[in-house]
Amino acid sequence: MALIQRKDSDKEKLACQGFTVKSLLKNAKVLPPPNVGAFSERPSKPTAFRKFYLRGDFPIALEHDTKGNKIAWKVEIEKLDYHHYLPLFFDGLCETEHPFEFFARQGIHDMLEHGGNKILPVIPQLIIPIKNALNTRNPRVICVTLKILQQLVLSADMIGEALVPYYRQILPIFNLFKNFNSNLGDGIDYSQQKRENIGDLINETLEVFERHGGEDAFINIKYMIPTYESCMLN
Amino acid sequence: MADLQVQQPKSLIRPKSWSAEVEDAYRFQLAGYRDELEYIALTKADVPRWPETGFVKKLQRKKDGYFYYYNRARECSDKDIHKCKIYVY
Repeated sequence: MALIQRKDSDKEKLACQGFTVKSLLKNAKVLPPPNVGAFSERPSKPTAFRKFYLRGDFPIALEHDTKGNKIAWKVEIEKLDYHHYLPLFFDGLCETEHPFEFFARQGIHDMLEHGGNKILPVIPQLIIPIKNALNTRNPRVICVTLKILQQLVLSADMIGEALVPYYRQILPIFNLFKNFNSNLGDGIDYSQQKRENIGDLINETLEVFERHGGEDAFINIKYMIPTYESCMLN
Repeated sequence: MADLQVQQPKSLIRPKSWSAEVEDAYRFQLAGYRDELEYIALTKADVPRWPETGFVKKLQRKKDGYFYYYNRARECSDKDIHKCKIYVY
């Protein structure tokens, strides 16, 4: 009987938010704070990349062969205006649908691989698209963006140094996902083999940043990500 | 007319393992050419190569004149080796 009575009294309790006048009542049941959703995905709006692609503005064509890993350029990459096209391709990093995702990723890969000295002056225009891509908090998008950031730093001289002033924009999401490793006990985490583990990729990227970012890189990384330990000083 | 000027191969070999020659053949055949000889004969242009590895960097596609850009590292994976053809003149 006592148990039943207690259950009845639970039902009569008044659910309310904390720190309100209601919560001071005797029969108040204070609810836990709502979920912030720091790790939940935030889908991006339709990108400019998608709009331009659908309009046929990009000088690229998809090759429908068995490989499926190449795009054909209608114009030589060396003759392209990097100030116009590279930020647009980076804008496509937020995309998760085919063929936009593939074109954006492969287009950036080709432009970085063959850009040389033309990449450095465009860096300031790439920061917002990179930040938007990381802010989607979609694991797939983050993985691709991290790999592209590594390629960007290694694609030409002085790019690592040029990125240092923009750490404040890029690194907060790194800090959020740095320890994003799942505890599987003795299970096998296949994302490690496939190089898709966000925690590992973030560490890898930060090490590339530190190695190529000059003497101020480490202190700037440490400022944004206090748990980061240097790969050069130790 | 251009085809007539291209030297015709006498035989072809299917490679069993990867080598720089196989990598080159893979890249030219992806763009629609037999090999470097045919590319030079048809386009009358030099083949740009990566300075570090010596692999082909860029080719103009045979069918439509679009450009293919290749990586500086190996692209021909093990499963593609047997699909390449090395022509002998």
